[in-house]
Amino acid sequence: MGPDTTVSVRGLTRDFGSFRAVDDVWFEVHTGEVFGFLGANGAGKTTLIRMLCGLLEPTAGTATVCGLDIRTRTRDVRRIIGYMSQKFSLYEDLPVRANIEFFGGVYGLPRSALKRSIARLTAELQLEEYASAQTRSLPLGIKQRLALGIALLHNPSVLFLDEPTAGVDPIIRRNFWRIIYDIAGRGSTVFVTTHYMEEAEYCNRLLIMHQGKIIETGSPSELKTRHDRPTIRDVFIRLISERMQEENAV
Amino acid sequence: MRQVFYLMQKEFRQIVRDRFMIALLFVAPLVLIFVLGNAVTTEVLGIRMVFYDGDRTPFSRELLAHFRDSRYFRIVGYESRYRELTRLMDRGEAQVAVVLPAGFQRDILRGSAPTVQVLVDALDGNSAGVALGYVTDIVRRFHKQAAVSMPLPVIPTGGRRVAAETRFWYNPNLESRVFIIPGIMAILLVITTVLLTSLGIVREKEIGTLEQLMVTPIRSWQLIAGKTLPFCVVGFIAAILCMVFIRIIFGIGIAGSILLLAVESVLFILTTLGMGILVSTISHSQQQALFIAWFFMIFGMILSGFFIPIANMPPLIQVLTYANPVRYYMTILREIYLKGTGLSDLVEETVALAVFGTVVFSAAVLRFRRTLR
Repeated sequence: MGPDTTVSVRGLTRDFGSFRAVDDVWFEVHTGEVFGFLGANGAGKTTLIRMLCGLLEPTAGTATVCGLDIRTRTRDVRRIIGYMSQKFSLYEDLPVRANIEFFGGVYGLPRSALKRSIARLTAELQLEEYASAQTRSLPLGIKQRLALGIALLHNPSVLFLDEPTAGVDPIIRRNFWRIIYDIAGRGSTVFVTTHYMEEAEYCNRLLIMHQGKIIETGSPSELKTRHDRPTIRDVFIRLISERMQEENAV
Repeated sequence: MRQVFYLMQKEFRQIVRDRFMIALLFVAPLVLIFVLGNAVTTEVLGIRMVFYDGDRTPFSRELLAHFRDSRYFRIVGYESRYRELTRLMDRGEAQVAVVLPAGFQRDILRGSAPTVQVLVDALDGNSAGVALGYVTDIVRRFHKQAAVSMPLPVIPTGGRRVAAETRFWYNPNLESRVFIIPGIMAILLVITTVLLTSLGIVREKEIGTLEQLMVTPIRSWQLIAGKTLPFCVVGFIAAILCMVFIRIIFGIGIAGSILLLAVESVLFILTTLGMGILVSTISHSQQQALFIAWFFMIFGMILSGFFIPIANMPPLIQVLTYANPVRYYMTILREIYLKGTGLSDLVEETVALAVFGTVVFSAAVLRFRRTLR
């Protein structure tokens, strides 16, 4: 484990009954990286993220986040990570401000720090005008920005974003990525899962999963050179179709 | 501790915004009191009575007036021939016949015991017993008023000549709603706590906020406290409203110690909150939770002695009721509410509630913690 390693995954495996969703996965992520998980639906991206956040217990293997073992130091890990799930999961029946205050309070932030954090984030994410709006009434793009803001309230060292841009239009998506870069620029490590291939190009490093296994890893440019393809989309399609052919041959 | 405060604050904000909850909180006690307080009644009104006066004295007419004034009786005949009585009873025109023999007044004035015969149509055994009770009560009161210290024997037909004086304590008019009404509080607490707790947790599961909470460093006891205490408060508000309505509508106050009632209610709520949490851990949707919660609630209510006296149940079912925490709370409520019974006479029930509360709540917390990981 290098000195700037934030997340170190060692043989993580997760079974659901007889189905192996994540199969003996090993990798390391460096501080300040924007690290992308690519894969088709059911490739194991979400299961992997949920294990890293302490939401699912690994069947085998383990991982450390900032040197803390996710199996034994779960609560300490939770203090330093932020998580934004695939599904918008805030209280829709409360105003935006109440949601922010609530999660800030649950993280145990002192009142003054919470106040500063709220002021900074609402400005950065351009949420001021929505502060007293009913959460239910917000457009999807704003909701996702709000969810991101809440995941950032306690200044996490590692941020896990599970398909943060699913269903929003390209302009909002680009805006969202700008924010992700800002976060990484301040020294946080960002995990992103996505199945928008053009988004994958924005990541510093990529990990491509297929049926619970890592089938390729590297920076976007490395991958494109290695597989002699102009875009990540082409790299991905090539890798997956090779796999499928192999499987069919067997 | 601050985390618990934030959780509770959030929960209350949601409750206040939820019109359905507010309606449930205020309307449910009222509706329950009105409907259950009036519908579940074993009270018998307007019993058709025939009066045989073999004495024909001021005293005998005075006693008749007592029956006439009572809302429990309607005098359908005033006979002087015994055979007419039998005819009216046979045809079901009269349900009760009161027979005053000649010498009724004389006996009272002499200070010896006069005899009164009461014939009751006992086809409906319950009503017959109740009717006999009313007759006994009125005759006794008349006797007392006549300022004579000798007890008045009332001899049901075919009975032995034993002078028995019956007095119905705590509920002198045998009004069933007096018995039913305190139980409504138990029903209300069960509904609010079991249902709201389980639905509240499962809803967070459904919309994913529970997961969002689980990635925060919050401890499971904080989550449980923050999730259950608000519903405790809601349950108690409903219960207090219930008591106020009972006082206003039926004029029934609490005979015993309110503090004791409160303490027993907290013990009871421990069980129902535990049930709520348990239900939430085994259900994946609000519909499922609702179904499972109803299942337990129906059992809890029927086997509590609220509708059906436990003594009337078959022995096997009676044994089952001992496994029902609502049964003990129902007894406690009635005892404190109507009789003013103190803790010293409720030790068994209190211990039972405490044991149930501890076991169910701990089991719920353990299971909930397991689902969190």
